[in-house]
Amino acid sequence: MKKLIALLAMMASPLAAQDFSEGSEARSWNLYAEVPAKFEATVVDLLCTFTGDCPADCGAGKRQLGLLRTADDTLILPMKNSQPAFTGAAVELQPFCNQTITVDGLMIDDPELGANNVYLVQTIVPPGGDDKIKANKWTKNWAAEHPEAKGKGPWFRRDPRIKSIIAEEGYLGLGVDVDEAWIAENF
Amino acid sequence: MRSLILSALAAMGLPLAGQAAEGTRIQVTGEIIDTWCYYSGVMGSPDAVVGSAHHTCALWCSAGGIPVGLLAEDGTVYMVLKVGEDDQTAGGDTTLKLAAHTVEADGMLYERDGLNYLVVSDVVSDLDITNQNHDDYGNVPPFSIPDPNK
Repeated sequence: MKKLIALLAMMASPLAAQDFSEGSEARSWNLYAEVPAKFEATVVDLLCTFTGDCPADCGAGKRQLGLLRTADDTLILPMKNSQPAFTGAAVELQPFCNQTITVDGLMIDDPELGANNVYLVQTIVPPGGDDKIKANKWTKNWAAEHPEAKGKGPWFRRDPRIKSIIAEEGYLGLGVDVDEAWIAENF
Repeated sequence: MRSLILSALAAMGLPLAGQAAEGTRIQVTGEIIDTWCYYSGVMGSPDAVVGSAHHTCALWCSAGGIPVGLLAEDGTVYMVLKVGEDDQTAGGDTTLKLAAHTVEADGMLYERDGLNYLVVSDVVSDLDITNQNHDDYGNVPPFSIPDPNK
């Protein structure tokens, strides 16, 4: 039995040391803990994974999704798409719900802060495909869902829900009176 | 001996056939944060991307579908996957309204590959924004409040 355990431990070592940066063409964001990472993974609904509540469409882009990496069964949390616009990854990955894809992007690796297996997705290669898809559909989807918010400037200045909360609570979230005093003093 | 083998398999990251995810019920108090800014450092130090200083950016990121987390008093971050009956934590209304708020939450914790995932069954109390750190850090990022002079 000792031999079996030793064998299993030996098998574990190469997996733990696997380098997923090989072949990555991810663009740097100049983040201090970024590591390029390209890997094959299955898109999973995280709530489904943990609780067994599994809608067929993985939540239609409104649930947080995970990437279950083929090579080592590690569950990666994709937090960010490729747009520098405060936008997440679920909308980009949801079309590939329960499918196995190849992603390229940046892993954020800062264990001291608790950043383990969190990821920024830049490109997706669908199953059986050769062409990379850029993970940058979020703002286009938002514009289609909010025709009433059409206008100049980035989406987050025009989003009705954000504008409503800021109008009520202020930019600092402490009330419009606090905002007014702060702005008068600092701008 | 069986547990040793199971531990070895778990260390390898291999799935254990027939084993369902097993959660732990917890009660935890902390701030609902924007996890991307917190982990990536893109907007500054961890202390600067929380609280009132970061409220507007936290709204942007929450509405944008970036995972929200609950930053507990001991520094542990819990990735929030559901709040009550609302499973729309990728840009949904419930988490958006809680941005930068400190809450007391009751829920199920699932630990996997170095991250803590939290399914909140009940927000026991919403204490609003308790971390008023804008005097220390300003508004983060600086463009989060439009310059009224431009």
